[in-house]
Amino acid sequence: MDAFLSQYFDLDIMWRSLPDVLSGFWVTIQLWLVASVLSLIWGLVLSLLRQLPGRAAAPIRALTIVYIDALRGIPLLLVVLLISGGLGALASEDVIADWIGLPRWFGKPDPFWYGVFAITLTYGAYMAEVYRSGIEAVPSGQMQAARSLGMSYAQAMRKVVVPQAVRKVFAPLLNDLTALMKDTSLVLVIGLAEVVSIGQDIQAETFNSSALVLGAILFLVVTIPLARIVDRQIAKQQIRYQRA
Amino acid sequence: MVRLEGVHKRFGRLEVLQGIDLEVKRGEVVCVIGASGSGKSTLLRAINLLEPAEQGRVFLEGVEISGTKGLNDVRRRIGMVFQQFNLFPHKSVLENVTMAQRTVLDRPKQEAAERARSLLERVGLADKLEEYPDRLSGGQQQRVAIARALAMDPHVMLFDEVTSALDPELVKEVLDVMRELAREGMTMIVVTHEMGFAREVADRIVFMDEGLVVEQGPPAEVLDSPREERTKRFLGLVLEH
Repeated sequence: MDAFLSQYFDLDIMWRSLPDVLSGFWVTIQLWLVASVLSLIWGLVLSLLRQLPGRAAAPIRALTIVYIDALRGIPLLLVVLLISGGLGALASEDVIADWIGLPRWFGKPDPFWYGVFAITLTYGAYMAEVYRSGIEAVPSGQMQAARSLGMSYAQAMRKVVVPQAVRKVFAPLLNDLTALMKDTSLVLVIGLAEVVSIGQDIQAETFNSSALVLGAILFLVVTIPLARIVDRQIAKQQIRYQRA
Repeated sequence: MVRLEGVHKRFGRLEVLQGIDLEVKRGEVVCVIGASGSGKSTLLRAINLLEPAEQGRVFLEGVEISGTKGLNDVRRRIGMVFQQFNLFPHKSVLENVTMAQRTVLDRPKQEAAERARSLLERVGLADKLEEYPDRLSGGQQQRVAIARALAMDPHVMLFDEVTSALDPELVKEVLDVMRELAREGMTMIVVTHEMGFAREVADRIVFMDEGLVVEQGPPAEVLDSPREERTKRFLGLVLEH
């Protein structure tokens, strides 16, 4: 039992590795926040493209469906590797500009941005489907009422349908953001010093897993409150549902 | 004001409108009656092109609007009120009435709000400006919906069974608003099952069956001495109870 405790919960190692683990967790948080915002936007764009009305938009709809199916079906890890290996190589061959091939925006290293790209591409596809379910759950009478007042399709979407849809899918989107946070750790394979890779380094040096446990605790500090927010939101919606 | 010529509409294999000819003059109140499934609601949706007809032509104020672009400008001249109200649940009563004024007519915020206030006062809801739709009764919601449509200064109003989803005691407050509107000279096309209202307010009654106008004329004629067998049968069913 003691061996077990000291392997995973060595307070001394935890205390000494705290500054490094925290700085890694700060990278994780930044990656999470940037990728979350971009995924939420990209997902909404995709869902709107997928539901564009009219025959002229058929090719756009088809392309969007292919994209969503493909990115939801490929492991994120693979996308991370494709992006990081591909963009850097293309930039060095001058096929694409350095600022996009070797992004170092806002003082962040290129693995950080490769991670942001890869996560956004993948999670945008997931979230597009969540948004879609929300948009489809808005009664068709809402669109009809807006159009009958003379609003264009785009105005009706922006002012009437999407605001209601987003409210309906708040909980599942938050679930996706929780999953996204955990998946940021995949970016360690391309050398980003986030919390899991730092914990792994310390484990390799000390043959002790306490720094990784510390990292796990930090994840829980964020994800558990998120889970409670989701619960509350679902309960609130059920009340509204029963009233309607 | 509104003219339909040979309008056809089908949903899959079901032909809902089988060639409708109808003319409604300025200031006229036309009540459309008929069994459910006879195509009454589709007729209204063909007029404001929510369900564009496949065949036939629709004219608004002498200009053909079927098969044309610029539908948003056409639609704002045709107010529509729905059976299920379709208020925007995420917006307050005031915002429900100002939204399209702001986005479609580009009215300044102040002006839109003033217009909304005066219309909501007219339908008896001056004290509900900040409420949300789910806090209102069905009758109140429907009156907001009427104010919302009127805010666009429509030239004609379409009413699609607007009292059918209401509890009986709430029907009158909505019909009263419509009576008032008719008295002021609004051109109205009203799909309804309220025979008393139709008799009292309509200038003309149109009876539809299986996607066709079977009979039309002044209320006294159509309701009291119908010529067509199908009209007699329908009226027998709705007026008996």
